Amino acid sequence: MISQIFILSSKGDHLIYKDFRGEASKDSINVFYEMVTALSGDQPPVVMTHKDHHFIHVRQGGLYWVASTKTNPSPFTIIEFLNRLAALTKDYCGSLSEKSVRMNFALIYELLDEMVDFGYIQTTSTDILKNFIQTEAVSSKPFSLFDLSNVGLFGAETQQSKVAPSVAASRPIMSSRGEQGGKNEIFVDVIERLSVVIGSNGVLMKADIQGEIRIKCFLPTCSEMRIGLNEELNIGKSQLKGYSSAVRVDECRFHQAVKLDEFDNFRILKVCPSQGEQTVMQYQLCDELPCAPPFQLFPSVEKDYVNRVLIFLKLRCDLPPKSTALNVSITVPVPKGSVSMSQELSSPDQTAELQPKSKALLWEIPRFPGGAQLSALFKVDVPGLSSASLLEVGPVSMSFELPKQTCTGLQIRFLRLSPTQTGLSQRWVRYVTHSDSYTIRI
Amino acid sequence: MEWASQLCENRGLGSKMTDSKYFTTTKKGEIFELKAELNSDKKEKKKEAVKKVIASMTVGKDVSALFPDVVNCMQTDNLELKKLVYLYLMNYAKSQPDMAIMAVNTFVKDCEDPNPLIRALAVRTMGCIRVDKITEYLCEPLRKCLKDEDPYVRKTAAVCVAKLHDINAQLVEDQGFLDTLKDLISDSNPMVVANAVAALSEIAESHPNSNLLDLNPQTINKLLTALNECTEWGQIFILDCLANYTPRDDRESQSICERVTPRLSHANSAVVLSAVKVLMKFMEMLPKDLDYYGTLLKKLAPPLVTLLSAEPELQYVALRNINLIVQKRPEILKHEMKVFFVKYNDPIYVKLEKLDIMIRLASQANIAQVLAELKEYATEVDVDFVRKAVRAIGRCAIKVEQSAERCVSTLLDLIQTKVNYVVQEAIVVIKDIFRKYPNKYESVIATLCENLDSLDEPEARAAMIWIVGEYAERIDNADELLESFLEGFHDESTQVQLQLLTAIVKLFLKKPTETQELVQQVLSLATQDSDNPDLRDRGYIYWRLLSTDPVAAKEVVLAEKPLISEETDLIEPTLLEELICHIGTLASVYHKPPSAFVEGSRGVQHRRIPPRAGSVESAESPDVGQSGSSEAPPAVIPSQGDLLGDLLNLDLAPPTSTVPSVQPSMQMGAMDLLGGGLDSLLGGDIGGSPSMGAGLGAAPTVMPAALGGAPAVGGGLGDLFDLGGGVGMPTGFYVVPKTMWLPAMKAKGLEISGTFARRGGIIQMDMSLTNKAMSVMTDFAIQFNRNSFGMAPAGPLQVLTPLSPNQTIDVSLPLSTNGPVMKMEPLNNLQVAVKNNIDVFYFSCQFPLSLLFVEDGKMERQVFLATWKDIPNDNEAQFQIKDVHLNSDAASNKLQGSNIFTIAKRTVEGQDMLYQSIKLTNSIWVLAEMRVQTGNPNYTLSIKCRAPEVCQFVYQCYEMVLKN
Repeated sequence: MISQIFILSSKGDHLIYKDFRGEASKDSINVFYEMVTALSGDQPPVVMTHKDHHFIHVRQGGLYWVASTKTNPSPFTIIEFLNRLAALTKDYCGSLSEKSVRMNFALIYELLDEMVDFGYIQTTSTDILKNFIQTEAVSSKPFSLFDLSNVGLFGAETQQSKVAPSVAASRPIMSSRGEQGGKNEIFVDVIERLSVVIGSNGVLMKADIQGEIRIKCFLPTCSEMRIGLNEELNIGKSQLKGYSSAVRVDECRFHQAVKLDEFDNFRILKVCPSQGEQTVMQYQLCDELPCAPPFQLFPSVEKDYVNRVLIFLKLRCDLPPKSTALNVSITVPVPKGSVSMSQELSSPDQTAELQPKSKALLWEIPRFPGGAQLSALFKVDVPGLSSASLLEVGPVSMSFELPKQTCTGLQIRFLRLSPTQTGLSQRWVRYVTHSDSYTIRI
Repeated sequence: MEWASQLCENRGLGSKMTDSKYFTTTKKGEIFELKAELNSDKKEKKKEAVKKVIASMTVGKDVSALFPDVVNCMQTDNLELKKLVYLYLMNYAKSQPDMAIMAVNTFVKDCEDPNPLIRALAVRTMGCIRVDKITEYLCEPLRKCLKDEDPYVRKTAAVCVAKLHDINAQLVEDQGFLDTLKDLISDSNPMVVANAVAALSEIAESHPNSNLLDLNPQTINKLLTALNECTEWGQIFILDCLANYTPRDDRESQSICERVTPRLSHANSAVVLSAVKVLMKFMEMLPKDLDYYGTLLKKLAPPLVTLLSAEPELQYVALRNINLIVQKRPEILKHEMKVFFVKYNDPIYVKLEKLDIMIRLASQANIAQVLAELKEYATEVDVDFVRKAVRAIGRCAIKVEQSAERCVSTLLDLIQTKVNYVVQEAIVVIKDIFRKYPNKYESVIATLCENLDSLDEPEARAAMIWIVGEYAERIDNADELLESFLEGFHDESTQVQLQLLTAIVKLFLKKPTETQELVQQVLSLATQDSDNPDLRDRGYIYWRLLSTDPVAAKEVVLAEKPLISEETDLIEPTLLEELICHIGTLASVYHKPPSAFVEGSRGVQHRRIPPRAGSVESAESPDVGQSGSSEAPPAVIPSQGDLLGDLLNLDLAPPTSTVPSVQPSMQMGAMDLLGGGLDSLLGGDIGGSPSMGAGLGAAPTVMPAALGGAPAVGGGLGDLFDLGGGVGMPTGFYVVPKTMWLPAMKAKGLEISGTFARRGGIIQMDMSLTNKAMSVMTDFAIQFNRNSFGMAPAGPLQVLTPLSPNQTIDVSLPLSTNGPVMKMEPLNNLQVAVKNNIDVFYFSCQFPLSLLFVEDGKMERQVFLATWKDIPNDNEAQFQIKDVHLNSDAASNKLQGSNIFTIAKRTVEGQDMLYQSIKLTNSIWVLAEMRVQTGNPNYTLSIKCRAPEVCQFVYQCYEMVLKN
């Protein structure tokens, strides 16, 4: 049972404080803040204990969302709840920041009152909540056309801007007055996270894909939406790996509101989206990549002079030629004693630097077209170099994003709203793949 | 905070009201201003004012002075304003209880409002006002709301019962709210059901014995139906409640499992984990050969794997839970090794947990893959992680024999890197590998010796010294190596010093000619220059051994060592079972039972997994017996301090103990070992030394003799006397009620409570043994440490049938007083070792001295007088016995029942003086004078004895006998 809920700014200011059970004092906020700021990096941060008081917190939007308890509740329940609370706050207030929380404190108190009673979680569904909530949201930013240019994909924090001209990320869903941007829009995002380990011999050792389909809905009323996925989508480790380009996932989970009666035969998800953001389907694929891994690295590490290591990296992007990878960054751990580095890069928009703190060199490439191959040479000075310290080079880790790409090949065939909306309704479908953990061993 | 409002104005928002301006700093007279605004006629203005008040409240300012003004705003039809006022009330009502009464009328009125939102709001808020006076007004509205037509009101009222119960439990019971709440379990609305279940579960926890949540198949069925319809949070309440239910048979258990399984694919990980908890618990009841059991195992894996795709915080929580599940049922995840491979960007706490699980899942089938990964990890940057990875390689070698060779060569590769902490960690694990596979990998010793200089951590130094000592005959310059360590002997940690002492003694026994000087040096360093008692004691033992009988010394010091166990860091089985019942909760993250961190009675009940169906009824079928033995808890880990217990455990556990009836010969064999082990425990403080194993080889001591007495007769005789004692004497020996001697938590599920009695001149130890573990216990035996009065078991422990789970057996053990004597502190302390097929457990208890008062303790009057004078006055002790409401005759009668004999009585000035004598089993006489004044409940007792240390305990006996 949740005893208290509070929201703190990153500086520890009290933004929201609500006591549900009267069994703890308000001092616990300060106790929590002291504990969380004293936490060192290698301690698990989720659950903290002070005497018989347990704090569970998440960080979102630069704020601490904290629940405290004196009993033995499920940390999953509380973490899930805090994440939902943050998501709802974002839905209701438009964005998630210290300022928007401050401005809408009355609304958030009202939400909390309906969501939790005596520490029991009641509901987190916008559909139910909208029946009870009286307070109007106050948008922290006036709507302006200029803002359109720097709005990202709401589901994934990317810098990629031109995908959909939308104010999705910073608009309260519930505003009834002030018809600002009151467009009938619905967004469907397919987001995949890729984690890959490639052995030193170039063999793919492990590949996992975690994917999800998220929708954000601004339609005031929407009775039913049908999302059509690839017809040849296979689920489970089936033996029929047959001939063609069948798309396969190991396992999938659906939002409670998704109706699956047409899923088995036609791969159609039926959902009545409530306003706001929700994940309708999560899926994963383990140990198999339907396509080649997007990057291959050909490294060579040599001892040059007495105190210098030569690292030559050749990186090839195996995406189709029309696609591009963005924000590619490559991190190579270097020997502990490294003091300085010089580099030869193939184009001026790339950068590379030695990061003495993490003992690694970081090579960044803003755009990397499919089929291209880039190479770079790094000379690292290491006083007192021994043959053993060459072993400290590697493994290489990469991060990147692939817009308009899904590695599983999952596609959305169609998006139908029924009954057909009167007036203009805009439907957006977006795809993106992120690197979750992409490791290449040397 | 002003910046926020400025910002808004700058953006041309001046006209639009925003909440942030309420945070503008308070100035003087602000309260006054707010007061005026609150009393304004305009609704909008009022609302703004209340918002300002609440804003101040949030940042911690005291706005309680505005209480009456805010309450005045309460009567409004504007819902938004009403909610704000209620928010204020909840916060300040407690500090202003008298004022809060002002609000009651409005609450009561609101509970009748046609709008269900307002009805629910009123009843919810009233419950949150934790003021006693309000509760009486709350009852009637609450009763109505519990039967409201609107489910939203009903679900709010259900929670309100729990709130009220928290404030005034008696009231809730008197008003019959609990029954209404029970009825709500059958409500048509799933949300109401969920809240009723949640409220009842919480109330039930504070009444552990009530059957509030009367779970029977019908209610379970209702809950399962509601499960499909209610919100995700309601599903969690219901699943948690289901987890407390114990199905009647395996069929019911299977049908519940079938209906819970669909929850495993829920998107909310909290629902998934609660479902996993229910399944893990109920699975225990399913027969393992059932097809469905296998299906269920397969279904559990994917949701657990999916949990690992969450953010690191949730991953960590998930991993802690998976760690438990893997220990309980490794088969669930045995094919999923790859998902536990670490990612470079995992936080360190996630990496360490994953590593732990990897080792638990390592098997012959996947060892190659695991080793390749571990080798990669060992070259990473993070020191802690690297260390653990190296250690993990060693654990793999010990766990999977086929891989040992590869593990050793991997470790050697790592030693070649010369990275300091890698080398040290590798040497520590290689020592364990040597112990597990003796005489197999000694060829690597040369490589190890090259790295001697780089070792700076005590554990690594100790490991290296152990290796040198153990293999001294193969290392040509062993004496030089050890000598080099000896130079800085005093700067070393205790661990290293002890190890060095033992290693040099080993070396001396192997190569006596060249190392005489060295051994003398180390012995004198240990015995004369050290002030560490452990080191000194061990030094003296070696010294005496070497000087009296070098052959015996060789047998002791170079004895064969017991094998080390494969699994390390396993959670103790009873704790594991309890934790499995708490999957998904904080307990599973801390790996501690909830009673360890939750205050008060809440959640303190220990939960148990229900026993597997059939294992009790059909105990005679050999099949089940087998499965019982495979369930036997694995041996748990030599942590340094417990080494002795562990060594005993390893050798004692008879490998084929599944035969249900215990044969006497077998019991005897086990006894011998126990006797030897215990003696070695008493022999001196050498626990933790590798030479400890020698203790096991020692010749059996007194025990066989004691066993010689016909066991059956002993017990029967005791019973006879028991009967005689009960009938013959009106005021018999007072027996203290049984107290807990050994809690189940400390003894792998065996719980012992007991007391002592003297019946017809025979001392008996009455014990109740309870099996709280999952597996059958057999082969019980008992042994005492030497004690002050030479008490020893006069026969074996009569537990002839195996003790099945949850069974309790009462045994009476006759005791003799001619065992070995050693003075204990306190005098009446008795240290006991009990052995069963699982382990040996030690506990100590204290017996009342009256146990030792013999029947012929009545002294001649003259002798009494002479003795009293003869004992010096220094030996006299005086005590007060308070609050005894007996006259002197009754008291003397009562005392006689416990063999305290009154020899003479004298009455002086209304004061009775009683002169009494007692004789102990070891023929010590105790004389006493008791003064009893009529009308005064306080007695004065003077005790004289040649051994004055017993006086205190004699007094305790008086106190005990007279007051009971």
